[in-house]
Amino acid sequence: MNTLSVKDLHVKINESHILQGVTFEVPAHSVTALLGRNGVGKSTTLKAILGLYPSEGSIELNGQSLSGKLTYKIAQAGIAYVPEDREIFASLTVRENLLLATRNESDLQRQQMVNELFPELVSRSAQRAGTLSGGQQQMVAIARALVNKNEILLIDEPTKGLAPKLVTEVADALGRVAGETTMLLVEQNLPLVKRIAQHIIVMDQGRIVFQGSPEFLHDGEWVHTMLGVSGGHK
Amino acid sequence: MLRWKYSRPLLGVLIILLFAAPFLGNNPLSHPGLQQTMAVAFLYGALALTYDLLFGFTGLLSFGHALFFASGMYLAVLFINHDVLVWWLAVIAAVALSTVLAIIIGSASLRTGGITFAMVTLAFAEAGHVVISRDFGGFTNGENGVALNADKVPSIFIGVFNTKYLFWISLATLVVVYFITWWITESSAGRVFAALRDNETRVAVLGLKPTRFKLLSFVIAAAMASFIGVVMLMVSGSAAPRFASADVTIALLLMVILGGAVTRWGAVIGGIVYSVASTRLQDLSQTTALHSVPKIISGPLSEPAFTLGLLFIFVVMFAPGGFSGAYYALRLRVISKK
Amino acid sequence: MDTFMLIGITGIGLGALYFLVASGLSLIYGLMGVLNFAHGSFLTVGAFVGLWFSTQVVHVSNTWTFIAAMIVGGLASGLFALIVERVVITRLYERHIDQALVTVGISLVVGAVLAGWFGNDLRLLPTPPWFINTVSIGSAHIPVDRFLYIAVALILLIANTALLRYSRIGLVIRAGVENRQMVAALGINVRLAFSAVFFLGGFAAGIGGVLVSAYSNGVSPLIAGTYLIYGFIVVVIGGMGSVPGSFLAAMVIGVIKQYANYYSPGLGDFVVVFLLAGVLLLRPQGLLGKVKP
Repeated sequence: MNTLSVKDLHVKINESHILQGVTFEVPAHSVTALLGRNGVGKSTTLKAILGLYPSEGSIELNGQSLSGKLTYKIAQAGIAYVPEDREIFASLTVRENLLLATRNESDLQRQQMVNELFPELVSRSAQRAGTLSGGQQQMVAIARALVNKNEILLIDEPTKGLAPKLVTEVADALGRVAGETTMLLVEQNLPLVKRIAQHIIVMDQGRIVFQGSPEFLHDGEWVHTMLGVSGGHK
Repeated sequence: MLRWKYSRPLLGVLIILLFAAPFLGNNPLSHPGLQQTMAVAFLYGALALTYDLLFGFTGLLSFGHALFFASGMYLAVLFINHDVLVWWLAVIAAVALSTVLAIIIGSASLRTGGITFAMVTLAFAEAGHVVISRDFGGFTNGENGVALNADKVPSIFIGVFNTKYLFWISLATLVVVYFITWWITESSAGRVFAALRDNETRVAVLGLKPTRFKLLSFVIAAAMASFIGVVMLMVSGSAAPRFASADVTIALLLMVILGGAVTRWGAVIGGIVYSVASTRLQDLSQTTALHSVPKIISGPLSEPAFTLGLLFIFVVMFAPGGFSGAYYALRLRVISKK
Repeated sequence: MDTFMLIGITGIGLGALYFLVASGLSLIYGLMGVLNFAHGSFLTVGAFVGLWFSTQVVHVSNTWTFIAAMIVGGLASGLFALIVERVVITRLYERHIDQALVTVGISLVVGAVLAGWFGNDLRLLPTPPWFINTVSIGSAHIPVDRFLYIAVALILLIANTALLRYSRIGLVIRAGVENRQMVAALGINVRLAFSAVFFLGGFAAGIGGVLVSAYSNGVSPLIAGTYLIYGFIVVVIGGMGSVPGSFLAAMVIGVIKQYANYYSPGLGDFVVVFLLAGVLLLRPQGLLGKVKP
């Protein structure tokens, strides 16, 4: 059973043809990692799914078409999004950031879960989000996506620009979430991908070039050819 | 090139014909009535062009342009009537002082940008309007305005019989303003202005100070506007607060947007047509044709602002190039078909 | 001393009227970046509907009918603002200069329609009998209507602040100002919130229109003129987008203007101009405005 199914997705921004027929599926109750070099269209794919960029092609969530819908309707259909640059609301407090995102305030169980996942945010709930550290801001961004019961989580480079200790913290949090939800994760940090992903998709120049098992990430040469980074066994 | 190859020679012929018209026997332009109407229209054409330098070419949405038009007018009439200076020195002094005023107000307003700049210039201009219309200091005679003392200026500026001189002066003003604007917009400073309109950061990256160039554009436009104000004083015979009101700036916006903001000739035609039309529309609205229509429709239709406002909204929303933009789009289609 | 008091309080009363005009301008500008030249038409529409209510719907004039006229005028103006936003402003999304231009066109059209229907003569707006009373503070006799203006301005200031700070829609608006796309990505219809801003701005302007008409003894398509200009000045001095800043600036301007005019008639406008120039030179972001990053 696939949660999200994307077929022949095209995105043109100004004159450049950024996505050139992207087709992939995200299986339910698992983590799928979207990999590839910088600028191959991974973030654009996530944004196009959310309707933040105009696109052509078909996007279905549990068999229901999302194409051409407004962003807020798509989000309401059950897609949560953690953007690349966190995009938390800097002038709002931590509590207000989470309150804003909460669609069902009576779901106390879920709020409890978020509080347990990010105890630090509870103690800082009255602080303005703009004054938090980068790692804390990332936690707000992830918590904001978790306060609702969603069908799928789209997460864009959650460990980007974080200190190694914070990467571990964010990775732990994602690891715990991963068991309970469907996730499409864009990530450069291969150890994290190996740890939580069950499927990988590799993109290059606006197209999908590989879909399969994360086993391949253990093959250093494969990683070097496909992703242009040194990797594999360390 | 989108320019029609005969456009420049034809324009030259047209200007010569216009200059000669008062002499060429019995034609509409040999009558003082139309000479007066056209003199005013030429001045609004020129004023619209100075506004276009600011708005269309530099991208500065100023709501305060009328202030400099009025300051040239009022300073000149005060200097002349009170015998402060002989008339031609008064003209120079009025333009010079208005330029200084523009430097001060421009420097203050350009500390802001974009929409805030529009708001700030509006506030300054309205302040000027209030000072003039409330007769602060007892110089401006409030709502009644100040009539130019006919004894203090050369007799060729006075009297119905001499309207043709005013017609020539206005036409000459338009031609001179057109050439100055042409020269500036084609110069290297003009290219910086256009670059500022399109992408300010890029200009700053090149090491040029955006604010300094914006101020230059603001001051040049204001200086020309103040001179046009002085000529308008001669043509209309008096300085009045209505020339200082925000309505003038809004009229300039209408002229420039309807004519097309990125071409010089579009602004001039917009100014001339608007000026002639606003006098004619007033007459037209008095016609009996509207009497048979119920008041709920005829009432608004009898107000020129209704039609102009709707046209303006339409152009801003659906035809941003205005008249000249539409012309070029048409020419592009004709050329590409060949 | 009594004159000092009298002028001070009438100055605050005038400032309250300026604030009613400026608050909507400031709200719409601060939250949406739209410089709204149609704000004067919001004011006039509110005034005419208030007049219609006071003369055609109710035929007596007392405190309650006047309050009702204010609210009806405010609602009508808010509705009109909502239509303007939906039909015109949203189509020019993020094109701020064009948005400002198109509101100029709207103000022309509305002015022409009202002038065509009703003419430009002042029509008397019925006010409650106590409007012409005075209140004695010490031996100063202060026209009682000034206190009404001040009270309405205070209520609007508090309501506005409370709404932005404590309500769900206020939260959406504040977040939407920062990052519109992200609010949408959280499943919130942010456009609805921005329409609400326009409605609220129009509502305040409509109430202002009724009160300005009461102050100037009548309704005409031209009443908004000088108030709109003072509204702009107040917004600039108070700081673009800061409603409390507008309140402060409106009070300061109202009081200074009245004292200056008492000292020498006509001086008031001049002093306000100097104040404006001074603020722009020394503190371009305005009294309570934030410096844009």
